Amino acid sequence: MVNQVEVKDFTAAFSGRTILDHISFSIPQSQFTVIVGENGAGKTTLIKAIIQTVLGAKRPVGEKAKAIRVASKYLAYVPQFRDLGSDYPLTIHAFVALGLNRGLRPWLNKKERAAIDLALDQVDLADLADQRLAAASGGQKQRAYIAQALVQNPDLLILDEPTAALDAGHSLALVKKVRALQEQRQIGVLWISHDTSWIKDYADRYLWLHDGQAESGLAQDLPDQAIHHHQEVTNV
Amino acid sequence: MFEQAFMQNAFIAGTVISIVAGIVGTFVVARSYNFLSHSLSEIAFAGASFGFFIGWAPLFGMILFTIIAALSIGSLENTQARQDNVTSAVSALAIGLGILFLSLGHTANSAATGILFGSVLGISPADIWILVVMAILVLLAIFLFYKPLRLLAFDEAGLLVSNSKKTALKILFLVVMALSVAISSQLVGSLLIFVLVTLPAASARYYQGTVAKLMALSVFFALFGTWAGLALAYLTNLPTSVFIAVIEVGIYLLSIWLAKE
Repeated sequence: MVNQVEVKDFTAAFSGRTILDHISFSIPQSQFTVIVGENGAGKTTLIKAIIQTVLGAKRPVGEKAKAIRVASKYLAYVPQFRDLGSDYPLTIHAFVALGLNRGLRPWLNKKERAAIDLALDQVDLADLADQRLAAASGGQKQRAYIAQALVQNPDLLILDEPTAALDAGHSLALVKKVRALQEQRQIGVLWISHDTSWIKDYADRYLWLHDGQAESGLAQDLPDQAIHHHQEVTNV
Repeated sequence: MFEQAFMQNAFIAGTVISIVAGIVGTFVVARSYNFLSHSLSEIAFAGASFGFFIGWAPLFGMILFTIIAALSIGSLENTQARQDNVTSAVSALAIGLGILFLSLGHTANSAATGILFGSVLGISPADIWILVVMAILVLLAIFLFYKPLRLLAFDEAGLLVSNSKKTALKILFLVVMALSVAISSQLVGSLLIFVLVTLPAASARYYQGTVAKLMALSVFFALFGTWAGLALAYLTNLPTSVFIAVIEVGIYLLSIWLAKE
């Protein structure tokens, strides 16, 4: 199986502190991979390095790697924070359409309309398409963000703690939704999560960052320490 | 009214300015750059008085100063300084410089009033040409970079480009905004820039849910205020910007009130 992501000997150190210390791992094509690890373990740093590689940007000072290879023609990213405000005027449909940001033509063609409809349908927002995004619930907003990311037909979707602001029920619903569309579209998903409760049931693989190291494997083999540690953190 | 050449010129200028202000204003309001637009207009004031001082057309001075300011603000954006503090420092300096240049250039009070409150009824055909060329440049830049600019304004977090491209796009946005502010100052003056650049776009947010419709309604509100303002100014012999300001503020307040109902 061809690898979608291959990281060799990646080191990230900022202000004298080494966050990731010569880590290497690979992720096969079209897998649902969850990245776990405590705060400051380097999850976001790693994701950013992968994204910047695909975008062809220069590696920032403090980061070194023998190689970061990402087999992705189009990568989509759903960031953790979005500051849109309570008076945000766009409808969910118009917000999702923002994701179509290539080419000069300012209006949507038939194909693009179909891509928006499919993305909205896959996240169960088709009925709310004309509602304002600002009026949507937390879970609906997260699904709109994911629809915006999906609309360009990415082959790799990266999500940074999309369930952070959701309760347990809505979190699990979102996990199931993304799992379903990952299987339908046969794309790779990298999902940063603090919540480890669902990983064995819904993900293909895990990547555990701790103490500057990276461990990866099949989701069902997620080490108890990774789960254990999370519970300690959340019980404080 | 339209048999008078100065009224024809004023309507042409007002129409061009309203179209630019309505479109760019949609992005300015979406990006919450309202106060930055006001600062840019104070910088435009300094630029215009500099223009008078060295004998240029005021609009050229405005364009020069606002573009320099846009580039400086763009490069300061990623530093630790708080944007509103930077903006207040820049505004204070700009107004100070404006007064200095007016004084050094022994500029007549009427010219200074024209910069601050607009003087569209005195606009010359040559000024209209400059205005039209500037407007075409702004609209062309928006057309060529419409999708990334739209994403930057309405959902910066969703804009997935390398950091260097993002900075370049932010600077382009500021330059487009600077040019629009300089253009709009011709109609309503530096002190009333909110009237055309932010109020119509802010009002439109209460009625429309797509970017194109927000722009269309914002242009409509700007045009309505400008045309009605010019006609009322002609009939009453009072300053145009007063009427445009009252109409645009009225539309905005009415929109808030209707939204509450």
